[in-house]
Amino acid sequence: MKAVALWVFLVPRNLAVLFLRFYRAVISPLYGDVCRYYPSCSSYTLQAIQQRGLVMGSVLGIYRIIRCHPWAAGGIDDVPPARKPHFRVTRFGFVVASSQGKG
Amino acid sequence: MDIPGFISTILWPIKWVVELLLVSFHSLFGTLGMDPAEGLTWVLSIVGMVLVIRAALIPVFVRQIKSQRKMLEVAPQLKKIQDKYKGKKDQFSREAMSRETMELYKRTGTNPLSSCLPLLLQMPIFFSLFSVLNDAQKGNAGVGLLNTQLARQFGDAQLFGIAPLHMSFQQATGTGNVAVMVIAVIMVILMTGSQFITQLQIMSRNQSPEAKNSPMFKQQRILLYILPLVFAFSGFSFPLGVMFYWLTSNLWTMGQQFLVIRNMPTPGSEAAKAREIRLAKKGKLNIATASDGSIDHVVLEAPKTTQRQQPVGKNRAKKQGEKK
Repeated sequence: MKAVALWVFLVPRNLAVLFLRFYRAVISPLYGDVCRYYPSCSSYTLQAIQQRGLVMGSVLGIYRIIRCHPWAAGGIDDVPPARKPHFRVTRFGFVVASSQGKG
Repeated sequence: MDIPGFISTILWPIKWVVELLLVSFHSLFGTLGMDPAEGLTWVLSIVGMVLVIRAALIPVFVRQIKSQRKMLEVAPQLKKIQDKYKGKKDQFSREAMSRETMELYKRTGTNPLSSCLPLLLQMPIFFSLFSVLNDAQKGNAGVGLLNTQLARQFGDAQLFGIAPLHMSFQQATGTGNVAVMVIAVIMVILMTGSQFITQLQIMSRNQSPEAKNSPMFKQQRILLYILPLVFAFSGFSFPLGVMFYWLTSNLWTMGQQFLVIRNMPTPGSEAAKAREIRLAKKGKLNIATASDGSIDHVVLEAPKTTQRQQPVGKNRAKKQGEKK
């Protein structure tokens, strides 16, 4: 029961993960490398959503894109680490409960 | 097409500017004596709008050129990083390499990348124009200067008197409007062509060997051939007015990309080698080739004269030496 609730809780961010994976595979290559930061804006947003969920992750991502303007110095800019990692990330990028292997 | 509330709030200022540019150009062409209700007037307004937007982005472009010039100074450090990760193709080494490269760019202030925000800003412009046209078709006023009357005029405007700007290929098949279909097909071909050339230029000529070896590159190559097809098909559902925006924008990008690749290529890419060879032919560069045939480094040198040096006797040589 708890596992199902957790799975439902993780659905929004996993949908976002699916969308971002699609973007990174199909749309992103069109532009080539443009981002002035490492990790790139889309990768940063992906990580942020994985760690913080859809709402906070999107806010962090949008803030990052706003900072990625032509006058920015760029450089390394990692996602601010979450206090305690609760979940595990699969190879594809889906977020699952850390104790169980299913996703 | 309905846009969710919060996105349209973000889009509002962009939509406003789009309408401002569109209406200004429209009244400019009107005062120049063109028929305000004519489709061509509206098409030229769209073209003018694109040119203004892209010209406004030129400072961004110039900044990129400047940091590219500076890149030459950090080239040795960049090469050091590249050598360190030579032949390491696993994900962790690649990530560590990009991390170090980015760090170097930041430290030296030579970031050659163009940043993400301008790209994302283009999307709302496209979106805005799309919704302006869509609304205009229904006779709805825009958010700013495009009032109901102008919107209706825009919506009703016909190119060459036969092809309505709000009509897409798809709709044209329904009504049997051959002119729209012909224009749409020509534009889709031009659009797809220019997009393809731009991408091909970036991918085949302006990427460093490291980037070419990455698994991402293979994926990109496949997409290079698939995406134009996708564009071609999606292009059939866009109204003609939006396609004119897209085409003008594509042509501008193609020209700009050509200049960038020709004059400020990514260091280590094929385009960079071509540029070095070109410069060497003009006698401005001396290329030292490494043992494997790749260009190792480039030495700046004074231009060589083709004129034969007259041999001089010992005494004269001495005298000449004294003169200098």
